Amino acid sequence: MGNDQAKKDLKIVLFLCSWGPHAAFQQLQDKDCRIPAQVKMVRIPCSGRVSKALLFKPFEMGADGVALIGCGSGACRYGVGSITAERNTADTRRILDLLGLSRKRLRLAAFSPEDPQGLLDFLHDFIEEVATIGKSPVQRPSKPEQPADSKAVVKEIIQKHDVYACQDCGKCSSACSLTLAGKQYSPRAMANAIIGGKLDDPQVQKDVWACLTCGICYDRCPSAVNFPEFIRDVRAVLKTSNGNGSEAHGGFFGSLARTMTSPELKGRHWNWLPEDIKTDPQSKVLFFGGCAPYFDVFFKNHLAPATLDSLKDSLRLLNFFDVHPILLDDERCCGHDLLWTGDRENFLKLAKLNIEAIAKSGAEEVIVSCPEGYRTFVKDYPEAGLEMPFKVTHIHEFLEREISKGSVGFKPLDKKITFQDSCRLSRHMEMTDSARKLIDRLAPESFTEMQDSGAGAICCGNCGWSGCDSFSKALQVKRLRQAKETQGDLLVLSCPKCQVHLRCAMQDPFFGKDLEIEMMDLTSVMAKTICWE
Amino acid sequence: MQKLEVIITGFGGQGIVLAGRILGQAASLGDHKESTLIQSYGPESRGGACSAQVIISDGTINYPYVRQPDILAAMSQAGFDKFVDQVKPEGFILIDQDLVKPKGLERDYFAVPSTRMAEELGRKMMANIIMIGFITAVTQASTLDATRDTVTKSVPKGTEEMNLKAFSKGYDYGLSLLKARDKKASGQAGALA
Repeated sequence: MGNDQAKKDLKIVLFLCSWGPHAAFQQLQDKDCRIPAQVKMVRIPCSGRVSKALLFKPFEMGADGVALIGCGSGACRYGVGSITAERNTADTRRILDLLGLSRKRLRLAAFSPEDPQGLLDFLHDFIEEVATIGKSPVQRPSKPEQPADSKAVVKEIIQKHDVYACQDCGKCSSACSLTLAGKQYSPRAMANAIIGGKLDDPQVQKDVWACLTCGICYDRCPSAVNFPEFIRDVRAVLKTSNGNGSEAHGGFFGSLARTMTSPELKGRHWNWLPEDIKTDPQSKVLFFGGCAPYFDVFFKNHLAPATLDSLKDSLRLLNFFDVHPILLDDERCCGHDLLWTGDRENFLKLAKLNIEAIAKSGAEEVIVSCPEGYRTFVKDYPEAGLEMPFKVTHIHEFLEREISKGSVGFKPLDKKITFQDSCRLSRHMEMTDSARKLIDRLAPESFTEMQDSGAGAICCGNCGWSGCDSFSKALQVKRLRQAKETQGDLLVLSCPKCQVHLRCAMQDPFFGKDLEIEMMDLTSVMAKTICWE
Repeated sequence: MQKLEVIITGFGGQGIVLAGRILGQAASLGDHKESTLIQSYGPESRGGACSAQVIISDGTINYPYVRQPDILAAMSQAGFDKFVDQVKPEGFILIDQDLVKPKGLERDYFAVPSTRMAEELGRKMMANIIMIGFITAVTQASTLDATRDTVTKSVPKGTEEMNLKAFSKGYDYGLSLLKARDKKASGQAGALA
């Protein structure tokens, strides 16, 4: 009986193409067939238009199963709908697996108008299968609340970051990557507008969401106004719902991070781990990988990035030094992107869950390879008042520590390399040297810095999966041109997102091969050439 | 009864005798063994060849001079040339790789850039402490804890932290070297499978 009740409580979302399958569905309704009550139908124009973000959104909101019903192969009115739907479903299913939600919760099917019975059977069968997996452990994440007196809160934020100290000198605008890319954009004008109480102005709000938070303005500001953190806090005030219109990729990555705030969710974050990598749950060292596994799946068809390599090779380097780290199966997003897009509440949830899980593992040292994750652990968790019973080390620091002990060398690398700084490491953490010390140990044909490098480096064009526009693109193109100008043939990176964003610009059909350059994470370059001497 | 005969050799002023004293003292006071130290000094402390002879033993030591060293740590070419042929076939030869060129040596030896590392740490005079760390890691003549303790007690007040850093540097270098040899012997020289 309890079982039946559980089955009745399931929530199944049905995306139904309005051409073939919807006609079948209507026939079921006309014939007064009992369509299972668990099914909530959403009529859509074509299965190919349901993006990964849309396929995933119901899971964020607590759905137990999602079915996407389109037209059969060759029957699509728009030609490519069925193929796109197949790809999107396959990728989303892999993401559900990584999350520990089970791929079986998402199904793709095709029904023609002549087959209403088939559709009905399908629905019953799907509900049976979802019932065997059980209810989704995801609890619908809370929406951030609008502060009662947002004006007072904004004033507090201005005071906290001492934005009043702005001298209106304009050094920020003359350095801002967005302004230099041609956007009508001025950090100081925005700051002064907010001081002047104009946060309600739509243009000011737009600018707040457009900031890359790359920190170059803070680097140049003679009054040391921490503009990125100011923007971060203002966004938390503006964020009144899950959407603000500035999210890239349909808000997929925000959904993903918020889904992970459910404590019951038991992920399978490392289900892709190659067999040659050694780990040990008893170790005192834990490796925190970050979201790269999701990036590679999500961008597989379009950009084919290899951000996962940075995790594999970080682990191989740890193994090289006989460190067999703990890996957390239910490792969650560090919360960086939520924090920087104003969703502080869900950021805190993720932070607490991560700290709790790491503390439980008994690890004394956490090694992080993602620059954003590193910043979040080292700066933002403590600032949020969270205590961590372990120390946090960036993989570059770990490598420097181990390599400086001696007897480690590097085989020659048949490449002319250059290096893309990540904003989080080079500017926010002031660690421009950490990667360069390692690069100096390598034996490439040559190493040439780009025109703008170190603390003055140009941003990869986006932050927190938001605010992607033509100016982001212009930035990326400019950056890749600088890389090409070094005459290099390998662009070494330290951040998976830099890789995703710069690769995106390389897809441009108009620039074609002009911008193409091989990219590799620093850890991969090192893992390829490191050797005991 | 296990007996270890050690010669540390170098230029006068490198702290060779102090290195010998630390090693012997660590073995006796720290590890509760017997040890003796013979130091040759005099004109050497103004430069020139210098050596410290240490014997570490589980039982009574009746004769304090080294006849056939089990361990030779050489920080000068002259010292190396003088003693290298006396080292037991299964003994350890350790050198400062920038100061000693083991020309024509057909047996295994362990090299450390101790003087260069000391310069990197900011004080060239700590090369001897780095060498002590290296000897401890490679030969295990004295235990890590005892040697580290003795280093702390033997160096001038106020420089303990720096010297411990130098000691760890040499010790880590030694461990790393042994590890590298193991890894290469087992055919895992790189990070990729």
